[in-house]
Amino acid sequence: MQQRETPPPAQAGQARPEGFVRFADVQKTFDGETLVVRDLDLDIRQGEFLTMLGPSGSGKTTTLMMLAGFEVPTRGDISLQGKSIKDLPPHKRDIGVVFQNYALFPHMTVEENVGFPLLARRRPKAEIAMRAAAALEMVRLGGFGKRRPQELSGGQQQRVALARALVFEPKLVLMDEPLGALDKQLREHMQLEIKHLHARLGITIVYVTHDQDEALTMSDRIAVFSNGRIQQLATPRQLYEEPANVFVAGFIGENNQLAGTVVAAEAGGCRIRTSDGSEVGATAVDPLAAGQGVLLSIRPESVAVGLRATGRQNRVSARLLELIYHGDHVRLRTALGGSQDFMIKVPRSEIDGVPSVGETVTVGWDRRDCRAFLAG
Amino acid sequence: MAENDGAGRRSVDDGYGQDLKRELRQAERQEKRRAIGLLLPALLLVAITFLAPIGLYLYRAIDNAIMPELMPQTTAALAAWDGAGLPPDAAYDALLADLAAGKETQALGRLARRLNYSRTGFRELVLGTGRNLAAVEARPAREALVEIDPRWGQNEWWATIKQESGAITPFYLLASLDLERAPTGEIERVAPEQALYVLLFIRTFWISACVTALCFLLGYPTAYALSLLPARITNLLMILVMIPFWTSILVRTMAWAIMLQESGPVNGALLWAGIIAEPLPLMFNRAGVLIAMTHVLLPFFILPLYSVMKAIPAAQTRAASSLGAHPLLVFCKVYFPQTVPGVAAGALLVFILALGYYITPAIVGGQDDQMVSYFIALFTNQTINWGQAAALGAWLLIATFVLFALYSRLVGLGKMRLA
Amino acid sequence: MSMSGAVLPSQRHFRRLLFLVLGLVLTFLILPLFIILPLSFTDSRILTFPPTGWSDQWYVTFFTDDAWLVPLKNSLIVGGFTTVIATVLGTLAALGLVRAEFRGKALIMALLISPMVVPIVITAVGLFFFYAWLGVVGTYFSLILGHTVLAMPFVVITVSAALQGFDRTLLRAGSSLGGRPFFVFFHVTLPLILPAVVAGAIFAFATSFDEVVVALFLATPEQRTLPRQIFAGIRENISPTIAAAATVLILVSIVMMGTMEYLRRRSERLRGVRPS
Repeated sequence: MQQRETPPPAQAGQARPEGFVRFADVQKTFDGETLVVRDLDLDIRQGEFLTMLGPSGSGKTTTLMMLAGFEVPTRGDISLQGKSIKDLPPHKRDIGVVFQNYALFPHMTVEENVGFPLLARRRPKAEIAMRAAAALEMVRLGGFGKRRPQELSGGQQQRVALARALVFEPKLVLMDEPLGALDKQLREHMQLEIKHLHARLGITIVYVTHDQDEALTMSDRIAVFSNGRIQQLATPRQLYEEPANVFVAGFIGENNQLAGTVVAAEAGGCRIRTSDGSEVGATAVDPLAAGQGVLLSIRPESVAVGLRATGRQNRVSARLLELIYHGDHVRLRTALGGSQDFMIKVPRSEIDGVPSVGETVTVGWDRRDCRAFLAG
Repeated sequence: MAENDGAGRRSVDDGYGQDLKRELRQAERQEKRRAIGLLLPALLLVAITFLAPIGLYLYRAIDNAIMPELMPQTTAALAAWDGAGLPPDAAYDALLADLAAGKETQALGRLARRLNYSRTGFRELVLGTGRNLAAVEARPAREALVEIDPRWGQNEWWATIKQESGAITPFYLLASLDLERAPTGEIERVAPEQALYVLLFIRTFWISACVTALCFLLGYPTAYALSLLPARITNLLMILVMIPFWTSILVRTMAWAIMLQESGPVNGALLWAGIIAEPLPLMFNRAGVLIAMTHVLLPFFILPLYSVMKAIPAAQTRAASSLGAHPLLVFCKVYFPQTVPGVAAGALLVFILALGYYITPAIVGGQDDQMVSYFIALFTNQTINWGQAAALGAWLLIATFVLFALYSRLVGLGKMRLA
Repeated sequence: MSMSGAVLPSQRHFRRLLFLVLGLVLTFLILPLFIILPLSFTDSRILTFPPTGWSDQWYVTFFTDDAWLVPLKNSLIVGGFTTVIATVLGTLAALGLVRAEFRGKALIMALLISPMVVPIVITAVGLFFFYAWLGVVGTYFSLILGHTVLAMPFVVITVSAALQGFDRTLLRAGSSLGGRPFFVFFHVTLPLILPAVVAGAIFAFATSFDEVVVALFLATPEQRTLPRQIFAGIRENISPTIAAAATVLILVSIVMMGTMEYLRRRSERLRGVRPS
């Protein structure tokens, strides 16, 4: 396979990196009753690595399958480079797909598997052999061509599937939980490998996973799915630091949630009284008015303990209930703001400031690390 | 989230709802059409070369077209008769005309045979009357016919003709169960000395039940022992089960015909061992039929049961033992109940197949060991009573289908496997 | 036995009894078939056991006498055509059965399988009257169609079993990689179900090759098949040539069984791939 150092210029007249793939008002139902995907509008940029993240049943895989052509949207349109592909059968879409269990053909050798898309496109034999070999070389499986898929390890099979999806130089590659069947170590290794391939080839990748670490480490942008809708579409950093709603805040990373009432709304912020009566400042995500119920979300690692809490914008007292040792850090379970399991993460290097169980200690966090969502 | 759900539902229902469902149905219909397109050649073949022949054949069980065909005038004339006493003169005229026509076309023999099924004596009555038609001359038909044969002056012969004058008749189906219609129209048992078929059906079911029981007695311990052995040995021993399974029924039956002869190996071995002093009669009797049929059907019982037993984890019986259960209790309460579906499926299959057996009893059985199939073939080939053959076939087929429906509910046809 | 060391004495007795039964039943199953072999090499004109002397004359008769060669040829012709038609139609039907869910599917399956359970005499007699009415009794055509309908259920069952275990993502993979439906069928589906198709074909051939009742009713002496000829021989006089013919049939069965076992192992090896 010839390496593409830079993304190829989009076909003449279709140069619109913004709307490389566009879902417009897409809706999908299997039974005519419940919507699996609803009101979906999504632009995928050329050359980006976009991940669809969400719990199972959230609609992410269905969305991917609609893009691949295995499912037909019940409403709306999907276009690739400005042309609607809604009525195009999968084999005419030129989209590479890597399946969850690889879907390698067991009756073909590795080489034949990788050559399959070229055979289907009636390329000459010599070209097929050459390009298949190059694709296998690219995933570092040169010399494995004559073996059968079932003779390879899970990671190797995964790379064969990758080579097979890339060998015909598709405009777009879809990956449906491709690393789900691998063990943790191999999975992390393959994450990096896929990421490097993406950077090297400049292809557009749409990736589906339910593993948030995988999404955060690999993606340019992440679309968080829940209940058939995109809850938030943002870069990993934005997603982690500025979740748009309670679901995203709870789904991505760890989070403490405190119930409270708005005392006063200020520009960009607000004062909240928690259920135990203490008052804290927070960043308002939704427009708020005094008297409304809110949920505060605070990440365990943004809370400082004891002396280190000095100077933080919010300081409250917390009683230490339990101390859990994690090697590189320690978790404190505390009673705070009406919650009995408010978690605080303390790095190992700061372990000296931690009080013993049963004691009360002052903890603090900054206003920007405390986000207030309208409750309900 | 729950609210969202509601909103989603609403947006499907209003405006889009009907369209969506219609489109979904359309897509499904297209898939169905393709599926049926693939099924069509096979279905056509089965319909044309299986269903239609069998359907047409079974129609013979009620087909009585011969009566309106050969006695057009008589059947018409008797339509108005109330069945009491003797029919009106017109019926005698009609009978005379029909018999004369039948003599002309040489169909009298068929008519005589048909009526004789319904009432013994009719053959001679019809043929005898036919021979003497010349003696009628110009006399009134009633007088002449009664003179030729006084039975034409008796109610019961006329009643039979009236009863069987329709184009279809329940006669054969009833006769296959040893039933008949009395002149009054009521259904009653035939005279005990004529009863034949109920006994035949009982015999057929009894032989099938005995074969099924023998398959269970021999097959259960065999399958159990095979499931206990290491896979390597089981695979070897399985060959001994599979070879008979693959060998033609005819060859296996023939093998038993040789084995069971008076001078055959079985008697030879028994005599040599001093167990018997005289050769046992093993051929042309019930023993031969049961031995040969059990041999032929045993693999059908062992194979499915073995796969059921193989799937029961050994850890279960070990767990039961560790909980303090006696081996016998473990077997009765833990192991056996799990094999019941396999036993039921195997037994039902053996029973269904045994019901229709023909070749094996025909070769190793005696006159009193023949099953329903034998008589169907006999009535078709030799005694030429096609209506009776078809009626026996119909009842046999009904019994088979009821059991087959039970089998498909129990096992599920989709899960059926061969070997 | 590898496990006998670990069981109690009472269980050991039970085991012994069990394996004794196993031995007896297996002997019962296989012995009659082995008896035929020496009988087919007897030098006497009647079938007595044990044979008094040895001769291969009955095999010479079997392979030279037209009374046996013609039926052998007929069996091969009828079996061959039956196998081809039943395999093609049965495979298509199995593909249709797994393709979609629809009402009446169970009924269609039952219909396709029913020739296996309808008492063979009923089928044979029904076909006899039907083909007599059409005027084609005593033709290869009628015999082949009769056998096809009996053989097709075996193909339907084996192929649909294989299709049920078939990983359908492979089809999606094939299509996403650019394969048109026909291309995917011939390069992915067919190679993967081929062992089952061949197994079904072997079953179909065996069904026709061993069938006697339909042949009894439909075949005139001209189409007499091998089993039909053996049947006539048993009825008339058991000449040792029948034993030779039966031995040939047993050998054919063993070859078919062996092929089947080879296919099963092979496809199991191929199936080892699906990670779960």
